[in-house]
Amino acid sequence: MPEIHVEKLVKHFGEQLALDDVTFRVDEGKLFTLLGPSGCGKSTTLLSIAGFHSPERGRIAGGGEVFFDAERRVNVAPEQRNLGIVFQSYAVWPHMTVFENLAFPLKVRRVKRKEIRARVAETLELVEMGQYTDRYPHQLSGGQQQRVALARALVYSPSVLLLDEPFSNLDAKLRERARSWVKDLQSSLGLTTIFVTHDQDEALSMSDSVAVMDRGVVQQIGVPEEIYRRPANRFVAEFVGRVNLISGTVTGFDGRSVLVEVGDAGVVLRATATRPPKAATSVTVAVRPEAVTLGAEGTQVFNGTDTFVARVHAVSFLGDHYEYELVAGRLPLSVQAAIRVPGENVRVHIPPDACAIVE
Amino acid sequence: MTTVTSETAGALPLPRPRRPRIRAGAFQWGIWIALVGLVIGPFVPLLYASFRDRPLYEPGGVFKVEPYREVLSDPAFWHAARNTFEYAAITTVLAVLGGALVAILVTRTDLPGRRAFGALVLLPLLLPALGLIVGWIEIWGPGGYLTVWFDTRLHIKTLAIDTILGMSLLETVRLLPVAFMTCRAALARTDASLEDAARSAGAKPLKVITSVTLPMLRPALLNSATLIFTLSLASLGIPLLLGTSHNIQFISTYLYYHWTNAATPDPPSVAAGAMILLLIATALLFLRNRLLGAEERYVSVGGRANRSALVSLGFWRWPLALGFVLYLVFGTLIPILGLALTSVVTVLTPLIAPWELFTWENWQALGTGQFRQAIENSALIAFVGAILTTALVTAATLVAHRSRFHLRKTMPFVMLYPRATPGIIIGIGFFWAYLVTGVAGDWLRNSIWGIMIAFCVRNLPFAYIVMYPTMARIGEELDRAARSVGASWWRTSGRIVVPLLRPAIFASFALMFIEILNDYDPAVFLAKPGTDVMGTVMLSQFQQGFIGQVAALAMVQVAVTVIVLGIGARLFKLGALGGRHDA
Repeated sequence: MPEIHVEKLVKHFGEQLALDDVTFRVDEGKLFTLLGPSGCGKSTTLLSIAGFHSPERGRIAGGGEVFFDAERRVNVAPEQRNLGIVFQSYAVWPHMTVFENLAFPLKVRRVKRKEIRARVAETLELVEMGQYTDRYPHQLSGGQQQRVALARALVYSPSVLLLDEPFSNLDAKLRERARSWVKDLQSSLGLTTIFVTHDQDEALSMSDSVAVMDRGVVQQIGVPEEIYRRPANRFVAEFVGRVNLISGTVTGFDGRSVLVEVGDAGVVLRATATRPPKAATSVTVAVRPEAVTLGAEGTQVFNGTDTFVARVHAVSFLGDHYEYELVAGRLPLSVQAAIRVPGENVRVHIPPDACAIVE
Repeated sequence: MTTVTSETAGALPLPRPRRPRIRAGAFQWGIWIALVGLVIGPFVPLLYASFRDRPLYEPGGVFKVEPYREVLSDPAFWHAARNTFEYAAITTVLAVLGGALVAILVTRTDLPGRRAFGALVLLPLLLPALGLIVGWIEIWGPGGYLTVWFDTRLHIKTLAIDTILGMSLLETVRLLPVAFMTCRAALARTDASLEDAARSAGAKPLKVITSVTLPMLRPALLNSATLIFTLSLASLGIPLLLGTSHNIQFISTYLYYHWTNAATPDPPSVAAGAMILLLIATALLFLRNRLLGAEERYVSVGGRANRSALVSLGFWRWPLALGFVLYLVFGTLIPILGLALTSVVTVLTPLIAPWELFTWENWQALGTGQFRQAIENSALIAFVGAILTTALVTAATLVAHRSRFHLRKTMPFVMLYPRATPGIIIGIGFFWAYLVTGVAGDWLRNSIWGIMIAFCVRNLPFAYIVMYPTMARIGEELDRAARSVGASWWRTSGRIVVPLLRPAIFASFALMFIEILNDYDPAVFLAKPGTDVMGTVMLSQFQQGFIGQVAALAMVQVAVTVIVLGIGARLFKLGALGGRHDA
């Protein structure tokens, strides 16, 4: 039952709070991602699970076994946790061949020599590195080293796989390939996996669920679509993808959405919400640039609701889309559109589902 | 890819890795206790001895501050202290300025032959100290070869080296490499594009050096200044061999003579004097640690660019290169040649051609009696000591940097501490330590192994300084990876970290071997007939005037040093020796 429970971790580095009440659960066989900027505590969390950091408070359990419990003074040594980890630097031991790298975890477990050979060969096939058995790490490319690191972390059938920014040292093309390859491998093996990254594309495309972290605090946990479309707060909205953050004043609630007046040109946005915001009258609305639709100024499409006219300040062509800088009164708005709309002014349509109230 | 239904994942779970029989924690405690015991331990009986009214081995001693009062009320002590500070101050200023200048010239200008200069300028620090001093005396001393030659042929009076100024000049040549290496390392760390930026902003090369390069060197200058000051405070060789003719006493020689000429043996006042010197050195070490902390502020980001923008010296290229050559030739090369020549003549003088005075007697003497014994003793303790020190420091470095032992943070300080403690004080400390530890102490006191331990402790910082940079380069993820796949701390250390440390382990052994072979000052309080080592025999023979034999012994040290460094440099790229700068 390799299910991971992380409960209320607190850790300081000197004066600085590195982890502040970090709590989450990873279901069996799922890929769970910790996403955040550098220094947000994601790697500290991962290394705490692996046993290389000891938080001051909290509890970590994997598959029914308690790895760490500050209160009960339980702290299982890293080597006794039976986890597999792939580091950012890959950490393939430079003085050992690929075979020796993979055989080491098995030797430590006193596996018979014959079985070691079989398991290593099989695992190398799994990562498509079968013909590199006798190479030394310096004879391998970065991508190949990464596969060896992954194979080494899998060869002893660990209960959980931990990945600490494993793609950040690969170039852009290779990174995309490695991403889908690792995802395939993970789901075919059904391995419970925790993945740390600062790259939102990686997080969104690979994960079953994502925890966004900032300054040691988990800001939001959810499936990728939720994180992207319904960010819980300003930080998540800004960190994951590009966003227009528009401040405005709440003017009403119609049962399904909140009405927010923004800017000085009398524009009113409707933001989907199940309940009215608390007494606060001034709020911020997050709008993704690609969720906005544009039309020619004169058109009366969009049924006349959730629409207003804005002046085109600048347009740039980016290959597969156009990037608009619009101004409605004093309200600036970035929009991503598939087509070029003629004219100095355009009609803007922002559907209620595209508006998320973030604070 | 998706077609693989792995047997690996489906296989029966493997057994959990076994826990090691000996707990890593017990071993880590053992190493810590051994280290602290060896480095700090000897000062405990010394401190105790300094507060007694009679030597520790005499019964009925009582607690008294008398020894301190005795030392501090002795005008000779204050005279020695004034000389010592004057000497240390001059040495520090000259060595730091010289070292910084050489570092800038070698790394940032188009000085011809700068790479060779960068290596050769280190020689005085690496060559055996006593041999170099004797070489200087033979060439530049009163009645020295070049002193007489300049006087009789050119009627030029050379600077007298048996004065405080002259002695500090020699100490400068010996310690300038310390400042040089610190500054060179700092320059290598700083990004040359900072200087490029100043040049494109319109600053002339000299302006760049004064307004960008030098300010960036400030922490390195302060750091090396405190170290050089500490080292020259405790210097024994130069004052002992050169200061005596004019009776210029330093604290080190004051303690040495009070010890050897004392009416009652082993006077507590020497222990008190040693404690005072130890306190000063320790205070300076703490000061230096503060400065090192400040240095991190100056580490510029992205300093990997080492292509160093060359400042063109223009007309000054050749005069500066010539000055460099003269410095090396007169400061190092000729004294070593003089030393070699001294070993094969009855007397070295420009007045009679050396071939008329040629003799093998000095070298033949080495094969007999106390010389032979001293060489054998030195070789034995250098070999065994180098192995033991390297093993201890390897283990201690592992515990200090690759374990979760909770006192690990104290260990780098403990390992560097002997660098700041004067050699003679380590000697006195171990003398008392052996006296109060019963049978084991008696055995150590009466064998060469007692001297070996003192030498090992004294030179242990060098082993750490060689070991640490390599350790720091071994990414921590490499051993974390080993722990995560199930290896214990033992196994991780043995199979991952130590194999990767191997070059540093060999470098440490080579360096320890020559340092122990050439060391002398901790032994002057420990050696007895039969347990003499090369250094102590050289000191006593020099004082009795047998210069030729001293020179022959010194040449043995020089030859071994050059061979070991040569092999080491070839085999293990002893660039690591350059790491001595952080001492």
